[in-house]
Amino acid sequence: MPADPVPAHPVPIDPGPAGSGPADPGPSGPRRGQPAAAAGARRRGLAWSLSPHAMRLITLALTGLTIAVLTRRPEFAGVAAPAVLLLAVRRPERPDAITVSTRLTRASVIENEQAELSVTLAGQGDCVADLLLHPRYAVVPEAPSGSRLPFRVTRSGRRSLGALEIRLWDRWRLATARVTADLPVIDCYPRPAPQQTRIVLSRLPSRLGEHPSRSAGEGMEFTGVREFVPGDRQRRINWPATTRRGRLQLNTFAAERTQNVVIIADASSDVGQPGATPADLALRGSAAAARAYLAVRDRVGLVVYQQGVRWVAPGLGARHYHRLMDLMLADATLTGPLSRGPALMTRLPRAALPPGSLVLVFSPLLDRRMVETVRDLRERGFPVVIIDVLNAEPPGRNDSLSGLARRIWRMEQEAIRFSLRELGIPLVRWDGEQSLDGPLAPYTRRVMVSRR
Amino acid sequence: MTARSAMAARSMMRGRSAMAARSMMRGRSAMAAGLLAAACVAWSALPLAGGGPGIVILAVASACALLSVLRLALGAAPAPAADFVNPAISGLRTLASLARSLPSAEVMVAAVLVLEALHRSRPWQTGLLGAAVLAYLFATHLAESGARASVLRPQVSLIAAGLGLLVLAVGAAMLPAGTGSPAVLLAVLAAMAAVVVGGLILPV
Repeated sequence: MPADPVPAHPVPIDPGPAGSGPADPGPSGPRRGQPAAAAGARRRGLAWSLSPHAMRLITLALTGLTIAVLTRRPEFAGVAAPAVLLLAVRRPERPDAITVSTRLTRASVIENEQAELSVTLAGQGDCVADLLLHPRYAVVPEAPSGSRLPFRVTRSGRRSLGALEIRLWDRWRLATARVTADLPVIDCYPRPAPQQTRIVLSRLPSRLGEHPSRSAGEGMEFTGVREFVPGDRQRRINWPATTRRGRLQLNTFAAERTQNVVIIADASSDVGQPGATPADLALRGSAAAARAYLAVRDRVGLVVYQQGVRWVAPGLGARHYHRLMDLMLADATLTGPLSRGPALMTRLPRAALPPGSLVLVFSPLLDRRMVETVRDLRERGFPVVIIDVLNAEPPGRNDSLSGLARRIWRMEQEAIRFSLRELGIPLVRWDGEQSLDGPLAPYTRRVMVSRR
Repeated sequence: MTARSAMAARSMMRGRSAMAARSMMRGRSAMAAGLLAAACVAWSALPLAGGGPGIVILAVASACALLSVLRLALGAAPAPAADFVNPAISGLRTLASLARSLPSAEVMVAAVLVLEALHRSRPWQTGLLGAAVLAYLFATHLAESGARASVLRPQVSLIAAGLGLLVLAVGAAMLPAGTGSPAVLLAVLAAMAAVVVGGLILPV
């Protein structure tokens, strides 16, 4: 069955205002692959000064000439002669200002994907320009090639690239001028982890989809043979069975249904190695799950829990995938706490958590409110699967007291997980490096029975 | 591998090779500058003359040569602030910033010329030292700016003319003193040129 093409890269859509509530999709931004809009060309004044090379030549010339005068040795004047000639040459007029325009070749990237910043200078005359990128957090510059400055963003979020330093040299490299320009912000989306398999529930809502259900219908999967009744389609007659039984027999097929999947990404714990924190893993896993389920036309919703709760109701299609990615981006900026306090999942409306939805929780289970929320969801009858993304321990010294504290902490974590398993909630660990198919394999090989 | 990822990989390879070529070029220029600095100091110091002041100037020239090479090796990029937690690293960073801030190359050039003037050497030896100092300055410039040697192409004619003047000056110095005094005339011309160069220090 051909899957609905879900692009690997999201389209940037302006997120809604920060805070609790549904994310506003907003107007569509520039499509990925198309060049981003160029930053406005700005004219910047230049303050020229002597270059270090010129200062050294002046030192050579003055010292040589001074010694020549004092010692009356003409060879020292000869030593100073090349420097004097280079310094005394008539210099062409240098520009008072240049126009700098920067443009990102991509409006958005995914983690560790290379992008380029294109810099265009105008009005520099015959001066030579050197470009130097001063990156901000999580931006890694690479070797520049001409006016293109490649870079990578290592963590998802709305990242400021930093500043661009332009150093201008005159033709003789004796005068120099510096200009600094602020660079635009780029959207970096989480890199989806590999995932090919999916969990399918035993009870599916009566909506056309791609998962074979228990009830008979117009799907593709053969379920059995029954006797023909008037009104049945003749092309489904099973002729070998008809010949054996002497009466018309008909092939029956399973109905194909869709399912609602709600992904809860707990990005509240940004601890551990930057780039591999539980928050990073939760967002990458959520992106992978969203892509995998949307590819089979399931309806996927997303709840991101960070400093607050933001959600997008289940939907389907490629555009919806971009909406989900933008929701992650809006909360992954890590620019500071939101003004509102954290809301509870139980306050989510019915549209965000449709009854009977499969709930996938990517969480390190460090926040008690999240644990209580998962318990509450299970008690309300939702089939819940927890993907444990805890991959860090509290830092501490290697003395006995720290070791004891760490042991107690581990036991607490084990107790939390044990209590959730006792409630019948499947819990798998995922380290963020391997595919999600491995940990989820016990639940993807057969349909998951949903109890109410 | 998709076409997009293949293109990105090729672009990354090109970027890495360009970075490697640039760092190699910078390293070669820095190595040339270091060798030239050592040669200049040694050439001007031997035979050592001037007594105590000579030794002091030689020490200053040697230290400045080392600092200038260290500065080229360190590069201009400041270290990230996160590395300053370790006191040893912090001390090294302080030393590096000191090496960057001191005008070591300028002091070395002046010290080398003074050392050369302290002992009575032959004019061609001084001329050779002047050419070596000039080469050192250009190598230093290329190393710290990371530019190719081809950026000096517009200056080749001027450098050639300057070297020609150097040869003329050395030749004039080697002439036996006769009627008139070319050295005195040259001193006057040199003083005028010194005024011109001094005017060049004014803000451009």
